[in-house]
Amino acid sequence: MVDNAVIGNEEPGILVRYFAAAADATGLDEERIVLADDTLGGLRNELLARYGDPMERVLRSGSFLLDGIVSRDPDRALGERVDVLPPFAGG
Amino acid sequence: MNASTPAAGPGPLVDPSADLTASEVERYSRHIIIPEIGVVGQRRLKNARVLVIGAGGLGSPVLLYLAAAGVGTIGIVDDDVVDLSNLQRQVIHRVSNVGLSKLESASAAVAELNQLVTTRRHDVRLDSTNALAIFADYDLILDGSDNFATRYLVSDAAAILGKPCVWGSIYRFDGQVSVFWEKYGPTYRDLYPEAPPAESVSTCGEGGVFGMLCGVIGATMVSEAVKLITGVGRTLIGRVLVFNALDASWREIAVHKDPTSEPITALDDYEAFCGTSLRRPLAADDNVTSQELAAMLERRGHGQCDFDLIDVRETGEHELVAIPGSRHIPLGRILSGAALPDIPRDREMILYCKAGSRSAEALSALREHGYTGVKHLTGGVLSWISEIEPSAPRY
Repeated sequence: MVDNAVIGNEEPGILVRYFAAAADATGLDEERIVLADDTLGGLRNELLARYGDPMERVLRSGSFLLDGIVSRDPDRALGERVDVLPPFAGG
Repeated sequence: MNASTPAAGPGPLVDPSADLTASEVERYSRHIIIPEIGVVGQRRLKNARVLVIGAGGLGSPVLLYLAAAGVGTIGIVDDDVVDLSNLQRQVIHRVSNVGLSKLESASAAVAELNQLVTTRRHDVRLDSTNALAIFADYDLILDGSDNFATRYLVSDAAAILGKPCVWGSIYRFDGQVSVFWEKYGPTYRDLYPEAPPAESVSTCGEGGVFGMLCGVIGATMVSEAVKLITGVGRTLIGRVLVFNALDASWREIAVHKDPTSEPITALDDYEAFCGTSLRRPLAADDNVTSQELAAMLERRGHGQCDFDLIDVRETGEHELVAIPGSRHIPLGRILSGAALPDIPRDREMILYCKAGSRSAEALSALREHGYTGVKHLTGGVLSWISEIEPSAPRY
């Protein structure tokens, strides 16, 4: 039930949550990031700057969910929360 | 923020069957006495027809729990054979069934567990030509397949037919599970609109998988299936649960339909969509067979020729079993270029991996960097073990 509880409007920045290989790449489950460029492209650049190659591998195939809606459009404005989720297909 | 929960739930997916027999009431009593399930819920389960894609890691617990719960008809799609390396996690299969088809092994286990269940075996590789016809006979699809092409195919075919799809996937310590039902919420394409680049994908066979995850994710899939069939509770429509076994944590992601996506109206060419059919068209003389390699190693041992034999698999795989006289450079370091300073350009080289696809990829990458004297081992270390070194462990 993290979903709703952690979104505090008064806290600055965007809540970015990392899953699976994205969590491995950052060593974090989630963090708040304050961006000058408040778009998906701006976030992408910030994540690459912070986490380098391992993040680059995640972003090659991973999804960004912007408040629950997937997007690859670098110009999309960010809302309250972004989830970074790499795919895997094992079964 | 409850936008992920549909305002009106879908209601029970399946109508109740005729009355239960006395022995059925006894067998299923622990479900029947739960008020939310009751006799009517159990009759819905008895009437349900559920299709399971893959009788592997996820399929194993899924099939066992579906059968135990008294789902009346269970279809199984699989075209694989039970291998010794499956038994670490594919708990429906027994050592006595190694070498048998998974279909046969799994349906025998289901029959032994619950003789009241009808199993239907679909001995095919699911593809665009057969999926809709197979799915048409079922109420619900459970996807425990092991590759992206099949994942997109299953989700699309279920969406086209208006059927719900319970989806689970696992890799190393991570598991994901959700319910896709196009009428009520997102599908696989709303979560992953684009297939990952083929070369960036690791399978469980290459990267490994924590066996117990199959039980955790598989049991959750069947929980969702039973909830959908009986119409109880709040399902995972619009939510993905992500489990991490190292952390022992469950986290939830809300997913909505992508408002910009086109409706799914027809099946696609999934191998092309996932880039898996375009894999490395290499010429015959790029290949070395195990027999040829053995002869070359023998000559090298006598100083009659010289070449590098390079294992491009991951470290764990190299430690598990390797061809004698090979050195280890993982594929990732070749693709990123980091290993190139360690790979001399003026030497002959033979690359190998588990079964031949990663070595072909490494070969193509080295060619692009101007290397000329490179070949790769057809069929990888598995072929070497079969033909040259049968006492070495397979995986």
